Amino acid sequence: MWQALHEELAPLGLSIVTVALDLDPDKARPWIDAAAPTHPSLIDSHHRIDELLGISNVPMAVWIDESGTLVRPAEGASIQPSPFAAIEINDEMPERLQAVLREFKQMPQTGESYRAAIVDWARHGAESRFAMSPDEVIAASQPRSADHSRAAACFELGIHAESLGDHPAAIAWWKQAHALFPENWTYKRQAWTLESTPEGADSDKAQEVQDTYGTSWSDEFLATGGANYTVFPDL
Amino acid sequence: MLLTTLDITADAFEAATGWNAKPEGMCKGDACVPVPGAIGADGTLELTAVADLLGMALVADDHAGVWALGPESGGRALTTAIVPDIELPDVDGNPFNLSAMHGRKVLLVAWASW
Repeated sequence: MWQALHEELAPLGLSIVTVALDLDPDKARPWIDAAAPTHPSLIDSHHRIDELLGISNVPMAVWIDESGTLVRPAEGASIQPSPFAAIEINDEMPERLQAVLREFKQMPQTGESYRAAIVDWARHGAESRFAMSPDEVIAASQPRSADHSRAAACFELGIHAESLGDHPAAIAWWKQAHALFPENWTYKRQAWTLESTPEGADSDKAQEVQDTYGTSWSDEFLATGGANYTVFPDL
Repeated sequence: MLLTTLDITADAFEAATGWNAKPEGMCKGDACVPVPGAIGADGTLELTAVADLLGMALVADDHAGVWALGPESGGRALTTAIVPDIELPDVDGNPFNLSAMHGRKVLLVAWASW
């Protein structure tokens, strides 16, 4: 998907750079191999771009101009309609699935308009109405509280504990990070997937982690609501 | 930012956080925060004082003997629109510095396998 957009826009001077927030680069490798990207494809196993750029879920993106200045802050980066939002709900489905799909339908469907905005920026640069001034970018970035800062520190201490082989300590740090910054889904989904992914599988998107974290992806998605699942772009 | 000691120079702090020690205080982009007495003449920082003034959480892991320093807080996620120095590896471990993209527009997309 991103490779196709890169090929389309590279002649206009725009390059995609993808960054995988994966503790273990080998989890990202099959996806990267399948995409065969000709653009830079990087791994951020410490989730540094969360604190450096304000990333809090995936997919999210920032726009960077030719001088290395942000012209849009971190925002949800779907570039096509959500296939989940299009699924017709019926009574045969398990109730929880129906509830999840209802929330997907509550999400603003910004995929097509966000893609069009990227193309407009590639063509018109700073003249694009979607490109913000530095002050606008800062103001449009998300608030950052003292708890958010502490969450970033706790998440990093969890990664350090995990690297030392102390998984119980990592879980304890990550639980703190989740409590301090519940809107950051990268901290949660990264930690949960380590518990719920079956041996040999690439990933587990359901992330049912009651035993370890007392929660699941669907519990929290339903509590948050589809409309608040990411920072939807305001275009 | 992971730390094995709280003795840190202003140069190392800037490299990790983007906050630069100037006579008027710690500065990043157009933002400057006064940090009276926290910058030593020899270039060392009173890290706990600086962290406190910038709203950076400094959390100790006594068991592992390390600290983690969170980002500045009390405002927005971005203090400046200038992209910080970001160097990350590709999937094979080869480092790539984002500054190599200067001169092109970049759509930087975060994704994950999970």
